[in-house]
Amino acid sequence: MEFKLEAHRIVSISLGKIYNSRVQRGGIKLHKNLLVSLVLRSARQVYLSDPCPGLYLAGPAGSPAMPPPPPQQQQPGEPAAGPPAGWGEPPPPPPPARAAWPEPEPQPERPAAPVTGAGDAPRGGEVEAAEAAWRRVEGAREAAEGGAAGPAGGSDGFPEGPRGTRRQCGCPPGAEDRPGAPGACPRLACCCAPRPAEDEPPAPPAVGPRKRGAAGVGGGPAGGPASGSSPLKKPRRNSEEQPGGAAAAAAEEEMETGNVANLISIFGSSFSGLLRKSPGGGREEAEGEESGAEAAEPGQICCDKPVLRDMNPWSTAIVAF
Amino acid sequence: MEEDIDTRKINNSFLRDHSYATEADIISTVEFNHTGELLATGDKGGRVVIFQREQESKNQVHRRGEYNVYSTFQSHEPEFDYLKSLEIEEKINKIRWLPQQNAAYFLLSTNDKTVKLWKVSERDKRPEGYNLKDEEGRLRDPATITTLRVPVLRPMDLMVEATPRRVFANAHTYHINSISVNSDYETYMSADDLRINLWNFEITNQSFNIVDIKPANMEELTEVITAAEFHPHHCNSFVYSSSKGTIRLCDMRASALCDRHSKFFEEPEDPSNRSFFSEIISSISDVKFSHSGRYIMTRDYLTVKVWDLNMENRPIETYQVHDYLRSKLCSLYENDCIFDKFECVWNGSDSVIMTGSYNNFFRMFDRNTKRDVTLEASRENSKPRAILKPRKVCVGGKRRKDEISVDSLDFSKKILHTAWHPSENIIAVAATNNLYIFQDKVN
Repeated sequence: MEFKLEAHRIVSISLGKIYNSRVQRGGIKLHKNLLVSLVLRSARQVYLSDPCPGLYLAGPAGSPAMPPPPPQQQQPGEPAAGPPAGWGEPPPPPPPARAAWPEPEPQPERPAAPVTGAGDAPRGGEVEAAEAAWRRVEGAREAAEGGAAGPAGGSDGFPEGPRGTRRQCGCPPGAEDRPGAPGACPRLACCCAPRPAEDEPPAPPAVGPRKRGAAGVGGGPAGGPASGSSPLKKPRRNSEEQPGGAAAAAAEEEMETGNVANLISIFGSSFSGLLRKSPGGGREEAEGEESGAEAAEPGQICCDKPVLRDMNPWSTAIVAF
Repeated sequence: MEEDIDTRKINNSFLRDHSYATEADIISTVEFNHTGELLATGDKGGRVVIFQREQESKNQVHRRGEYNVYSTFQSHEPEFDYLKSLEIEEKINKIRWLPQQNAAYFLLSTNDKTVKLWKVSERDKRPEGYNLKDEEGRLRDPATITTLRVPVLRPMDLMVEATPRRVFANAHTYHINSISVNSDYETYMSADDLRINLWNFEITNQSFNIVDIKPANMEELTEVITAAEFHPHHCNSFVYSSSKGTIRLCDMRASALCDRHSKFFEEPEDPSNRSFFSEIISSISDVKFSHSGRYIMTRDYLTVKVWDLNMENRPIETYQVHDYLRSKLCSLYENDCIFDKFECVWNGSDSVIMTGSYNNFFRMFDRNTKRDVTLEASRENSKPRAILKPRKVCVGGKRRKDEISVDSLDFSKKILHTAWHPSENIIAVAATNNLYIFQDKVN
């Protein structure tokens, strides 16, 4: 249990660092953000893999304890962390035989997605639906990875950096253009297929450091005040990728919706930026970065914080498109 | 923007310890030149201060040459990248001297984005007796000139002037962390987080990219380059270290783009030491070739390691710098100290290595006797010619009289930059905004 609290604390600290890095003089430091994102992933891994059923029975609403056993634990060889039944809260409608997030909101599968993060073995299935939505936000380049991420999310809980942020789309690589492909992401358009026009997979907030940075920086000028943000003119992105952004977004998702408020207070008005994923733009090389970032900027809507609070993360993510 | 506009804030501890410093005065790099006659320091405000060693005088035998300020100049100014809305810090990240080839001295200084070649030269004579100008430099009316004279050079007070001779700009997307002069004295390299460029001193508008570890998808980024250095004798070889604790030796003869290493140095991780912060503390903050060229030394957060170039699978020596911090990594992560980049240096004969720590402590390790010592650089303990007393950090419960406990360490006083004279036992230690120069006791 202490591990979980410790991990949660580390996640909060890491997110704070990533946020602060945006306003530091000299631009975002790639090295430091990379290290912070690695810590974030490790902590998240532990956070999600540490089963404490008792915690949920006792935990108040919005307590940081995240209930669902992470999907990693369901991987073969992984000791079962505790089936949904073990959790104190009523399991939501059964998505795939996987984690049951006691989310009151109507997208029960969703939490599984971010949780999965690092080590998803490719799983076809319904859960993908919810995950897909997030993944579109996250940018599931992983589709190309196929099942490679599986081992990465192995039991030691310390996945490799990039894998950590990968969200398995779950869709077989071939399913890119066929959202309705069986076993692929049934409900929403598969993350693989979002923008065929794009050369590169969409830059996810999780994995698109660039985008995230811009979004984050966009929060900057709006001012730290956690009060609702007026539409932000996002400054141009700097060329420093911010891998931490990925983890930040991931962590966000994992947190119970009730915790979104906590994150909002951490990030202030830039919180809306974190969820926002620029539909256009994608990830270009650094040289073309500026144009890409700028292309992504127009059309962004800034949610007021109160509105954001009411929207659950998934809706927000979808709206971002 | 809500960022700090004015970074030159006065440290509010100044009232207490009489050593208040503006942030601009914090020393960010220290380097002796090849003879040890000059010592250059760079600071966060973009200035370079060069110290020169006094000539030893016969009168004061016991007073070996002291270092006095020789030249001060503003090397880099803060810049703003309008395209990316980024401010570029003027902090000097590294200074490297070129070997002296004539009366002038040359050094390279770099901030995050731009490398500059500076020429530091002396002027101790000035011409007098011009025909067309008077002594103040005003033009004379030619009609009033009735005689001609030849201007003569007359001695004047020594003036040291620094002029920028080359500016190597716009070659780095990410922050430059290292520069290294090649042994051919014609080329040098500059390394940022993802790329290393090779320059010729004469050509400023082009550089060769020799290492590029940027992945096609930045999401796949797992490591960055943290330091790079040329081999001291072989102009084709260089090493670079990564944030994953690995070192790669590359040979430029093998291919134009040295993405494939010739040697790969990595020590397997000790699984018993695994923690959230394992990756951070394994990131190498500095890599230095020995003077012999046979060994490389690397510094990560808690240790210094010496590697033999001929053995890739593990270092030949590992020295614990401040292992008592291992249990405090979480706090150090919170206050950002875990990201501090300590440097390490060899002495002239490669027998002793030195690196810094917290509380203004620095450590020396004798490779032959395996003895180590912890010393402190502070005003209270350093009267001129006083002998430094070894310090000790107490880890266990019982604290002896002179020991300091881990919890009393001041983590804001860190020694990141040190330098060792190339041939003598003189060291320069930068403690925040103060520079300490210590030398061997003279009997």
